[in-house]
Amino acid sequence: MDEKKFNFTKAYQEIEKINEWFEKEDIDLDEALEKYERGMELINKCKERLKKAENKFEQIKKKYIPKDEF
Amino acid sequence: MQVREIVNIKNISPEKIFTVSEFLEFLNNILTPCQATIKGEVGERIDSYPGYTFFNLLDKKKSILKCFAFKEVISGLGIPLEPGMEIKVTGYPEIRKNRGELKFQIQRIELIGEGVLKKQYEILKKRLEAAGYFAPERKKPIPEFCENIGLITSEYGKGAKKDFLTHLGNFGFKVFFYDVRVEGSFSLYEIIEAIHWFNTNLPYIDVLVLTRGGGDWESLSPFNSEEIVKTIFASKIPIITGIGHENDQTLADLAADFRASTPTHAAKVLTDSWKLASINLNEFEKNLNSSINRRFKIIKEKIAFFERNLTCILKKEILSKQKRLDDLIRNLNRGFQTYFKEFEILEKEFKKNLFKIKVLIRNEKAEIIRLLETLVKHKNRWERKVEKLLRQQEEKLSLSSPSLRLKQGYTITSDEFGKIIKDPRELKISQIIKTRFYKGQVFSRIKKIK
Repeated sequence: MDEKKFNFTKAYQEIEKINEWFEKEDIDLDEALEKYERGMELINKCKERLKKAENKFEQIKKKYIPKDEF
Repeated sequence: MQVREIVNIKNISPEKIFTVSEFLEFLNNILTPCQATIKGEVGERIDSYPGYTFFNLLDKKKSILKCFAFKEVISGLGIPLEPGMEIKVTGYPEIRKNRGELKFQIQRIELIGEGVLKKQYEILKKRLEAAGYFAPERKKPIPEFCENIGLITSEYGKGAKKDFLTHLGNFGFKVFFYDVRVEGSFSLYEIIEAIHWFNTNLPYIDVLVLTRGGGDWESLSPFNSEEIVKTIFASKIPIITGIGHENDQTLADLAADFRASTPTHAAKVLTDSWKLASINLNEFEKNLNSSINRRFKIIKEKIAFFERNLTCILKKEILSKQKRLDDLIRNLNRGFQTYFKEFEILEKEFKKNLFKIKVLIRNEKAEIIRLLETLVKHKNRWERKVEKLLRQQEEKLSLSSPSLRLKQGYTITSDEFGKIIKDPRELKISQIIKTRFYKGQVFSRIKKIK
């Protein structure tokens, strides 16, 4: 996943789904390994995102459109 | 109010003579920019027309301000205008030229006094509720993890901004702060403008937080207006309100997509999911690890079981194969022994027969030699006999030879084609015939045939 396009919500939802999937009794080992790796990758990215968490504050001046922020 | 500055009164000459219209226009130029908010009591007489209403605003000193309001302004009040009602009006003064009266042109009308405000609130709430503005199914969901937050509050209020920012955990939020007044006549328009601004300029923002500290019911009136409800409802960006103290539920709260009781609560709502996520992520990691380990353990156990099972099956298989092999070797030995015995018998018989054959061959050979000798004997005899016969035949043949006849003087006559003539009747007169002698030949023409 590209760092710039990293979406915490989507990653988190995917992790939740992977966890649910692991709750199933009968699972395929190859698929389990694949999902495990994906899950770990996403968890690490989410943790990275939480580590870098410094709030930014910006006061809106009317007529100023900070579109670059997105 | 710097009226002089606005109309530049200094430059008007005292000698100038106005017409009535000119003077009223001159006065209106001074008066209309004087926007003000005035409180008072509604007078006894209210003249309502389909599009507008006239009434008087009074105070305890019996002073009268004649007021004029369009229908839309009156309906913004939420309840009908009644004599004796305590209100405050925002607008500007203007002298009506055709009547020569000063009228206060109302732009916004608000109720004063907790009791009447509550009444207005209840009526408006009922109406907007019936129109579906507060329906839960029409509320926009608040994203689980908001990152970009539009904060609409006052820079100088009762600490709402500070409370919100203090309680907003450090989770990489981007807060775009839009400063508005949260009290007074102009606050409503500023808040509406702020909501519009975010929807127009930062439409991808996750959430808007509209917040202010607590206050009495009157100071909350901008948040109890029809306009704010409609604006919140129309916003494409979900809105969280955190207005006043916990017991004050304004119409803006009811219209909001999520109602937080205070600015602190609003911050907490946005932070909690992140806090929970950082805890849950560790849990997820643990779960994933234990899940995969459990899977591996199960697989390992299965492999060990298969291994044991397989050894057992293989052993059985090998034993059974070995037994079959032994049986096979035994049968083969038995077979070979029988075969060898039969072969011995055959060999003996063959030797016996070989002797017989030898005797036979010897006898046959003697017979052939004998026959050969007889044959040679017969051959010599026959040869001699044949030779004699041949000689006799040769002699006989030489006596009858034509050349011998020719030598003795005989001739042979033939036609021109060589056919030997034995009967002259075969010939014709003038035909050429050939006569052969012992030495040479003569061609003659026939003259006569007898």
